[in-house]
Amino acid sequence: MEASPDPGPHASASAAAAAPLRAAEVARLREEQEKVVTNCQEKIQHWKKVDNDYDALQERLSTLPDKLSYNIMVPLGPFAFMPGKLVHTNEITVLLGDNWFAKCSAKQAVGLVEHRKEHVRKTIDDLKKVMKNFESRVEFTEDLQKMSDAAGDIVDIREEIKSDFEFKAKHRIAHKPHSKPKTSDIFEADFANGMKSKDLLADRELWERLEELERQEELLGELNTKTDTVIANGEDATSSEEEKEDQNINVNRMHQITDSVFSSSCYNNVTNSEMFNGHMNSQLNCSINGANSYSNEEEEEDDDDDNNSESDHDALGIEDNSIPTIYFSHTVEPKRVRINTGKNTTLKFSEKKEEAKRKRRNSSGSGHSAQELPSIKTPADIYRVFVDLVNGEYVPRKSILKSRSRENSVCSDTSESSAADFDDKRVVLRSISCEEASCSDTSESILEEQQNHQKKPLPLSGSPEAFSGTVIEKEFLSSSLTPHPAMAHPVLPTIPERKEVLSEVSEENTKRVSKFKATRLQQKN
Amino acid sequence: MPAPGARAETAAGSIPADDQAPPKEELCLRIKERKVIVDELSNLKRNRKVYRQQQNSNIFFLADRTEMLSENKNILDELRKEYQEIENSEKTKVKK
Repeated sequence: MEASPDPGPHASASAAAAAPLRAAEVARLREEQEKVVTNCQEKIQHWKKVDNDYDALQERLSTLPDKLSYNIMVPLGPFAFMPGKLVHTNEITVLLGDNWFAKCSAKQAVGLVEHRKEHVRKTIDDLKKVMKNFESRVEFTEDLQKMSDAAGDIVDIREEIKSDFEFKAKHRIAHKPHSKPKTSDIFEADFANGMKSKDLLADRELWERLEELERQEELLGELNTKTDTVIANGEDATSSEEEKEDQNINVNRMHQITDSVFSSSCYNNVTNSEMFNGHMNSQLNCSINGANSYSNEEEEEDDDDDNNSESDHDALGIEDNSIPTIYFSHTVEPKRVRINTGKNTTLKFSEKKEEAKRKRRNSSGSGHSAQELPSIKTPADIYRVFVDLVNGEYVPRKSILKSRSRENSVCSDTSESSAADFDDKRVVLRSISCEEASCSDTSESILEEQQNHQKKPLPLSGSPEAFSGTVIEKEFLSSSLTPHPAMAHPVLPTIPERKEVLSEVSEENTKRVSKFKATRLQQKN
Repeated sequence: MPAPGARAETAAGSIPADDQAPPKEELCLRIKERKVIVDELSNLKRNRKVYRQQQNSNIFFLADRTEMLSENKNILDELRKEYQEIENSEKTKVKK
């Protein structure tokens, strides 16, 4: 739709601009086509040789059983021969491929050779077709060259048509996947401008509607807890178009208001969200538990957090569709677990990724540590919740960290029961990690130690080992996760941690939230 | 008893791979090869063994000397005929 007006001017411009390029481009096109032709000729020659070889082989095989034995020169390497006798003339071993051989008679071998020859002929025919096709194309390009040299009018017409097609195709490709969001973006941008100018009443109505939706979201967020809202924003495409619009608007306004902070926060959030997503993917139940705990204790903070989280996700906006990438990053973290449990190579790999993440965090949000901390904490909380959920039974804290600690402890204890617990815990990865953990105790973080201390009943021995190994994870998790392990128990500790984090963040976040709403207010004003 | 020299020549003269329209130069080269083979085979002693290489492999099958000689002579004749035809066609083209 939008493209239709564009192609006209573009086409004319492209035609004018393309005119000088034509000669060189056409020449190059012709070169490439000729290359293809020569390449096909070479291939045909090769295949003809193969066909010829098969002919000879077939002839030999057909006459091989005629005699009981043949006097031959047996090759010993490429240059040495010794006289010998060929016996079993009707016993052929045929290579089927991949070093598998089949024993068959000469007649059967002839059939196989025939089959292969058919294939060779087919390929030769195909190559000939390709060659003919490209020969004709070469002729066509030659004609085109002559035409363009002779009369530029015809060439110009062709150029226009090409440009039209290109534009349409590009637009279609671009719009089809993200058509809705893009349109929504445009509309939103318009609305923002209109609101600022106070020109459109309809915009006000929309804003009112949006406010209502926001209130509903807040209510829902309180009911569903923070984790749910965050997840919904980030992961769920189910969110209504209105919400999307809101998000988009928020994004625009956010950018206007706070650029640097916002970008940094986005990065931090992304990293955090990755953490969340990974855990969330592994177990959805965790989110529910975490949500409940959050909602009960911290409503105000939750609101702030929700707003922040929403704003962040909004900032990510359409890019949130890239959530799968976030998942990947989280999958990486489980790899860390494996790494911790297991082997040097994996450890190195994980370490590299961790270092990269750290660098990102440092670069992006050095000044915004507060945001990073809360966001990190939330994932950690999720981890805890997840662990709790995994346990579900509440009997053991089976959060990932806990599971690691248990694994380590178990490893030290050398008890299979712990391994069984892991299996119960659900995740294959974890089970693997447990096995690996049994093998190597090293790389557990301080968190693990803390968890071990808290959870302690299971493994005391694991803790010292964890100390030694913890260094890596300490660096990685120290900012975000360390407080959580200290909190240790899943529900209660997590809440205070979150409160702290939220309180810290809330100061900035409240501002942000105010921005979120402030943008609307500004527009209204 | 075995004649390595003969073996090498026969190997070269195994099976003539005739393309539909071999260029004149290639035809010339082949004729030269065949000439050498025929000469070598005709000059071999009676008790010499002649081996023929299986195409695309390294196995040499014992062959009969006289048979190989006659076969290669035939091939040489055919090649010469082809060569003549090509030359004639070229001449006719030039005349036209």
